This record gives sequence, C-alpha cells and structure tokens, in this order.
Amino acid sequence: MAIPVEMPKMSDTMEEGVLVAWLAEEGDAVSAGDVIAQVETDKATMDLEVYDDGVLLKRVIEEGDAVPIGGLIAVLGKEGEDISDILAKYQAGTAEAAASGDGAEAEAEAADAPAAPAGGDGAPAARPEPVPATAEGEGRIKASPLARRLAGEHGIDLAAVSGSGPEGRIIKRDIEALIGAPKAAPARPEPARPEPARPEPRPAEAEPLYEAVPISQMRKTIARRLAESKFTAPHFYLQVDVNVEPLVAFRRQLNELAEAQGRAKVSFNDLITKACALALRQHPQVNASYLEKEGEIRQYKAVHVAVAVAIDEGLVTPVIRHADQKGLAQIAEETRALAEKARDRKLQPEDYTGSTFTTSNLGMFGIEEFTAIINPPNACILAIGAIRDVPVVRDGEVVPGKRMKLTLSCDHRIVDGAVGARFLATLQQYLEEPMNLLL
Amino acid sequence: MPEMQLREAIRAAMTEEMERDETIFLMGEEVAEYNGAYKVSEGMLDKFGPKRVIDTPISENGFAGLGIGAAMNGLRPIIEFMTFNFSFVAIDQIINNAAKIRYMSGGQFKIPIVFRGPNGAAGQLAATHSTSVESIYAIFPGLKVISISNPDDAYGLLKSAIRDDDPVIFLESELMYGMKGHVDLDPERTIPIGKARIAREGEDVTIIGHNKSYWVAMEVADRLAHEGYSAEVIDPRTIRPLDFDTILASVKKTNRCVVIDESNPYASIASEIGFRLQEQAFDYLDAPVMRITAKDVPAPYAKNLIEYYMPQADDAYEACKKVMYVN
Repeated sequence: MAIPVEMPKMSDTMEEGVLVAWLAEEGDAVSAGDVIAQVETDKATMDLEVYDDGVLLKRVIEEGDAVPIGGLIAVLGKEGEDISDILAKYQAGTAEAAASGDGAEAEAEAADAPAAPAGGDGAPAARPEPVPATAEGEGRIKASPLARRLAGEHGIDLAAVSGSGPEGRIIKRDIEALIGAPKAAPARPEPARPEPARPEPRPAEAEPLYEAVPISQMRKTIARRLAESKFTAPHFYLQVDVNVEPLVAFRRQLNELAEAQGRAKVSFNDLITKACALALRQHPQVNASYLEKEGEIRQYKAVHVAVAVAIDEGLVTPVIRHADQKGLAQIAEETRALAEKARDRKLQPEDYTGSTFTTSNLGMFGIEEFTAIINPPNACILAIGAIRDVPVVRDGEVVPGKRMKLTLSCDHRIVDGAVGARFLATLQQYLEEPMNLLL
Repeated sequence: MPEMQLREAIRAAMTEEMERDETIFLMGEEVAEYNGAYKVSEGMLDKFGPKRVIDTPISENGFAGLGIGAAMNGLRPIIEFMTFNFSFVAIDQIINNAAKIRYMSGGQFKIPIVFRGPNGAAGQLAATHSTSVESIYAIFPGLKVISISNPDDAYGLLKSAIRDDDPVIFLESELMYGMKGHVDLDPERTIPIGKARIAREGEDVTIIGHNKSYWVAMEVADRLAHEGYSAEVIDPRTIRPLDFDTILASVKKTNRCVVIDESNPYASIASEIGFRLQEQAFDYLDAPVMRITAKDVPAPYAKNLIEYYMPQADDAYEACKKVMYVN
C-alpha cells in the first residue's frame, strides 16, 4: 500500500516547512531512516527521514515550496503502484473549505497567479469590477465575506491577492494592506464608494523597481520575536567601560597552556560568557523571566548563557548550558562547535532553546558600542564592543591602555536600574580581575 | 449601592414586588418552611405568611399547572423549580399551556407567571441534574427566557419578569448564588427584558456569553488584553427576545465572533446566534463564527470529565485567536 510522507512538526514553533532540496529521485528505493530531503523550518534546516521502506513513487512538491505541517510531500510504495487515491485524498483536503491545513498548493498557485488573466496587455482596464473576478476552472479563490466585499468596493481583483489566512484564505488585512487603510471596516454599512482605488497600471516594459526576496522562516521568526520584545519589554541601557589589560594578559597565558595541551583557544567572548555566568549566579534577579501570561516572575536555578551567532540567513542564539559550572576550555570548545552547527544550519532545538541570558558581540566588526534587543524571555542582553587602545591616566600620567565597552539592555518590568547596575559591576569585577574566573 | 449575594438580590426583587402587588405569590418545593433549597427565599414565609409563600409536594407538573391556572385567573405566581432539570416533569404545562394559551385564546388570557430556579451544571451532579435548558425553552414562541450573570441584572430583570404579562423562564445558577456584586436597590428600578449588556468594549473580536459563560468570556477577554487584543464582551441577558441588534452592531465593528454557551451544541443558543450572524452580517465577517459549548454528550459525573464537559476558557481563547488569524 502506498504511504504518504507528510511535513512533520520539527520544532515547537514550526507551522510550515520549506522543502530546500530533494536528496532522492523518483524511482529510488529507500528504507526507513533514509534522508530524502532537507526542510527549512523557522529555526534550522533539518533532514527529512522516511519511516518506511519502499520506492519513492512521487515527489509531490518542488524545491522551494512551503508546506504546512501535515501537508503531503511525497509518496512511497511499491514500484508501479497506483497512488491516485492518496493524491486525490490530499487534494480533496485542499479543496474543502473547512479542511484542516492539508497542502494548499493549488490555492496558493491560483492566488499567486498574476492579475490580468486575459485580454490585451496594453491598456489595463481601469474600470472597477463590482464583482470580484474568480479564477476560472477548479482553483476557487477563498476569501472571507468581508474581504470579498472590501475588494469589490475598491475594485481589487481577488485573483491578484495572496491570502494570509488558513489555506490561503484572503482576509480583511490582506485587502487593507493593498488599499493602505490602517483599520477600515466602518461600523455602519456605507454605500459603495464611488471612486475606488484603481490597481496600478502596469508599465509597459520598464525595469522592475525592486527585487522581491521571499521572507525566510528564520527571518519571520527574528522579526516576530524581536518586535515582540522591543514593543512589550521596556528597555533601558547601562554601560561600563571595562579595563581589559588584565584580561588580555590572562588570555595570552591561558592560550599558551591551551596550545601546549592541544585544546581550543579561549576567546574574549568565552571569557565574557563565563564572567556573565558567574555574575548571574550572584544576581538571580537578572537570571529571570517576566511571564505576564503566567502571572509570575521565574528566577531560574540554572544559568544558561546564549551567544548570538550571525549566519548568512540571519541570526541564531545557541546556548551554553550551565555555563557557570563549566571550565573556560569547555566553554570555548562548546561555543565553537555550536557556532559551526549554526552556520551549517544544523542546530537542533535543544541547542538554541532555554537560555536565561544572552550576549551579542560586534567587537570583531570594530563596533565600539551598541545596544541590543533583549532575546525573550530573557531579562537582559549584553552587547559587547571592540577592545580599544586608548590613552588612560595612571598615577597622573597618560599611558596606553585597553578598554572595552559593555552595554546591558534591561527589561524594566523585572530588572530595575540598581539591580542591573549591581550585576554589571560584578561582571566588570570578574573581567578586571580575571583570576576569579578560575575560582 | 450595597453589595449582596445573587440569592439576596433575587430575594430582594421578589420581596419588593410582593410588597408592591399582593397578587404575587411564591410557590415551590422547600421555598417556605425550609427557607429555600438554596436559601433564596429565606425569611419570606415569616414576612408574607403561608398564603403567599407556599411549599408544594414533589409534583412539578401539578404546581406548574396550578400556577398557570392562577395566572389565568388574575394572580401573578412565581414558581420556583429546585432545579430546571425538574421542570421537564412539568414541560407539557409550560409549553402547551403557559406558552400557548394567550395565542389560542385570542388574547383573552394573559399568563403573568415566572418560572425561576437554577439552570445548568453545578459540579458533580451527573447527567440528569446538569442540563442547560435555555435553548429548549427558547424554541417556543410565547415564552420569554432570561438568563442572568450577576446580582444587579438578577434584581432588575426579575422585577421586569414579574411585572411582565407573559410567562417568563428565569434562569439562575446554583454555582453563582453566593456570588457578590453591587446592586442598585430601588423599588422602581427595573432592567428591560430584551436588552443585552456590553460588558466590555473592544475592536478585535466579539465574545458572547450568558450566565456562567459570561465569566468565561470575561476571563478570555482579560487574557487577550494582556496580549494587546481588545475583545468586546456581550452578555445577552435575555435569551428570548434576543437583543440581536446589539450583537449585530458589535460584529459589524469587530468582524469576528466567538459564542460561549453552556448548552449542548446541537440547536443551541450559540447555533442561533451563529446562524443569524451569517444571515445578517455575512459581508462583515472576516472569519467563521465559532462557538464553545458543553460537549455533545450527557453531562458526566467524574470530576475531571464534568470539568472537561463544560465550555473551556482555553478553547474560547484559542477560538478567538483563530478568528483573529493570530497565533
């Protein structure tokens, strides 16, 4: 019997996955555990394994297609087996208005199809259509009644609108986005507007004004989480300028030892990770989350420090668990391994969840100081600047010195100024007397 | 405004009306000597005597019919059912006589009677003692159905029900009898039948709930508010005649609606509201109307199951998010 391969739920926050690459051809024999494709979720690119033996009879979707959880990706079975039943079943799921998220490609295609279905390309008919044009044939356009009415009032062809509701349903906000209304829907029925906004006439053969880049799952997640953080957590910022001369000397000594023993070199970032972890241990109010929904503040018993890592597609924050209990060499090795996994998009959910604090370092770009947006549900994030050679006054004389600016962003709902300042003072002390990191 | 329990507000309404009009009397099981199964009528026997506060045998069909006959002859009875589950024994009297005599007599008889008592589930009372009856009685033209969610509405609406010349089914709640709230005591103040109350104004979704479900609706609205969504909460208060104008105006504003209703789902109050919305607000709906009701089974006895059986705030919250297209 043929077996459907569906989009699995690969992370807690995943809603759909994009098939990045097929690794098996139609007709290939596969066995349980084989990887047949790679799927991009909101967090990482993960391998899609099959759970059964058989022949890959059909690749239902193309590379680059997004499929909701439970949507059909491929069909396995015996050579030459009839799979029309399975395909029909999933297609029926798509066609039914109220069906639950079974692959919505047909609709997506219909909705994405360019406007102006027929007729002369030259002069676009600017006359508003009172009734929204429905795509002919099987591709019924799904739109909420309200969206349909609004589209009609504004002369918008629904076939040209892509819906953001379930299964591509066109809803109020999709139409509002097109007509640029902030919040329409008057309480009283209004007579249809006399001069509806006309769709932009298409320039004949002009250069496109921009390149439309699809928003990746990771980009969506970054956008959502950081917007949520900045808009709900009232941020304030505290800064210290740390004397890092002792830290530079300390690191040199450490790395001579590390080199001799063939262990990973310790970076400044690793030292700061460790210092943060030890300081967090002493300041439980900072190692905490403000959870409005649950109606409580959680002060975590463990210290898990996340480190922001820039990758081509965006940004991830792998976590060094129990960083306060780990030695510097171990932190260095783990950080390196996680950063590598991040760049290869191989991080697993357990690698990037559960942080209690986050650091972000732009020192390597020569950024002297910056402010970072808190990584929810953390209470604070530390922005690390570059080490600068600066003239400092010592014993009444101007001498060369080394300084580094650290900026702590605090969520004022949970961390007050004095609490943040005390934490930062402890952190500074660890970095200026780095032998304490070994105690 | 004094703060009082729901049972005290109901008692105050009955007492004030009985002082005002001596044709009014209270009748039911345990209403007199025992001071009421839920102490709603406490002290009323002492105050009004046994001719106006009357204990009955366990014979709902008998005393409901007696009340209807009294109403036809010019009195204004208040009939208490110990629970509305027991009204099923008297349902022929209520449906075929109370609801229809005025119509069948060409208006020669008025039936100014109130049937009142607790409705719906109240914990582990099992299948036969947990029914929500509002959709059953609201089906019949000729009956008015009121279901209250707080002491002040109970006070104002019960007075209107007693003064009304048609039979009124007045639904209370065992679980809410001890609930306290401010009541604007004023012998001449009534709340009109057929007017919903907008308990909370909002823009993003309309949540409708009556009786206990109203409090579920408010809880959900609070949770949504924490996340920055504003829900409009409507307590219909009167189930029939339903103040659909208020609901319609709200849904035309928010474009979305979730109904919370303790009825079993089939042909429930939620069904009625949902149907009328698709009929009258079709072009204003941005999402299907959703309902959260009791489960479609007889009420279970086990504690975990009866809790699950009831409309869940979590489900209503998810439904609101779904119709707002947010997650």
